[in-house]
Amino acid sequence: MYGGGNTFEGIASDSLATEDPEKLAAFEARIARGEKIEPADWMPQLYRKQLIRMIEQHAHSEIIGALPEGTWITRAPGFKRKLALMAKVQDEVGHAQLLYSAAETLGKTREQMIQDLISGKSKYSNIFNYPAFTWADACFISWLVDAGAIVNQLANVKGSYGPYCRALDRICAEESFHLKYGHHCVIYLAAGTPKQREMFQEAINRWWAPMMHFFGPADKISAHTQVLMNWKVKMATNDDTRNQFLDMYVPKIWELGFTIPDPALRKNTETGRWEYTEPDWEEFKRVINGDGPCNKERLEVRRVAETRGRWVREALRSATMKYVEPLV
Amino acid sequence: MKSLDPRVERLPIPAAVGAPSPLDQFGTFEVFVQPKEGKPFQHEGAVHAPNLEMAFVLAKETFTRRFTCVSLYVVETDNVFVSAVTEGNQNVYDVLPDAKNGNGKEESFEIYHLLKRGKQPVHVGTVQATDAARAMLRARERFNSGAVVFNVWAVRTSDIRFTSPDENDFWQTLPEKKFRDAGDYKGGDKLKEFLERSK
Repeated sequence: MYGGGNTFEGIASDSLATEDPEKLAAFEARIARGEKIEPADWMPQLYRKQLIRMIEQHAHSEIIGALPEGTWITRAPGFKRKLALMAKVQDEVGHAQLLYSAAETLGKTREQMIQDLISGKSKYSNIFNYPAFTWADACFISWLVDAGAIVNQLANVKGSYGPYCRALDRICAEESFHLKYGHHCVIYLAAGTPKQREMFQEAINRWWAPMMHFFGPADKISAHTQVLMNWKVKMATNDDTRNQFLDMYVPKIWELGFTIPDPALRKNTETGRWEYTEPDWEEFKRVINGDGPCNKERLEVRRVAETRGRWVREALRSATMKYVEPLV
Repeated sequence: MKSLDPRVERLPIPAAVGAPSPLDQFGTFEVFVQPKEGKPFQHEGAVHAPNLEMAFVLAKETFTRRFTCVSLYVVETDNVFVSAVTEGNQNVYDVLPDAKNGNGKEESFEIYHLLKRGKQPVHVGTVQATDAARAMLRARERFNSGAVVFNVWAVRTSDIRFTSPDENDFWQTLPEKKFRDAGDYKGGDKLKEFLERSK
């Protein structure tokens, strides 16, 4: 699972001025040829910095994303759902392990990333700052938030950084289970009792705004990221991934007889693009900066886990073992 | 703490948990898997762990929860010797630095080739040598078949934590875990029946 719409750092116009023009040209030619960049290759500082930021955010999103769903493991309706949800949550945490390794090959240590998550310095996908009130919320996450994540990940797998692409290959393969499982849960709610249908309709009503935020601010107000697109760090614009998600999943939601709380939502048959009420980007900014319904709880749960597990790590630690960057 | 999650409600969370003190980091280990019986081992990724045994367990959990391999091994990253990486049509075996014959005892080294940029190094065989540099030169004599090799890895066989035969049942129980598979969640019939009903 992955929160798209990364918040990239603003790029200063002179940020490439100090790079060697010859090396930069060779680097860009390699990307243009469709070759991957590997950890040992030369790369501009800006590329390294933005990639660390993006992969780290992705990894944190996997860890924090496991929390709202993990909440429902103990209360899942029946043994089969519990088994599946446990497997899914284990997958998400496993994805974080793969992603942290990929970010480490760029020079940031795992311990530093974990500290930056806990201290609130690093971001993660905004959608996980909202609560999962009912089982239907957990189903919404498993099906539709994962679906949004897959749209992003399938775009990013064609990116330029080798270790990130290899991690995503493995992640995408596992995500297919999440998506099918989520859809299965929702079909059963839709075909169930009026109360079950009502539960899922309410979940859609609660999650639609965060879902639209998920892909990041509208292109017309997002930071200029052309250089990141050229370097295949960012693979599609926020509006394009949002549109692709709507195209694939709105018909499936309607098919099940649910409504979407946006009267303006429709596909423009001339342009082939979806029209919708512009999401509230002020709320998005407010929540991403810490003032959402669950920001505090998410970080606190993570911090407590870290603190309580410390004695185990200290007991296992050995003086002869030392940290080095992974190879590739 | 006030939460919708009963487990969080139950957590004895101190009012303010201080920032953790910087920990020494765990060691780094490289993971190799054998995707199928008869196929060579290939590099799969890295894990962090306090020792080789824990690294083996973590590697199993991280990389082989599904039908992706029949065996796995781990080695400390510092014990993987890596050649230069070449470009274009440059075979890395043509630019290996010379190495004098060591005086020590010969040991066996596992050799891996990277044949395509963006892919993983794949095991090609075992050589006997006194050290890693000599092992790569020996590998040039034995495995340099003409295909361009971009990167060579050498790992002392005795540094590897292999899967022992009685540990293979890790992967033999996977067929019972269908619940991890997309194929176990077919909702088509239920959906069809629902759509018929709501016509």
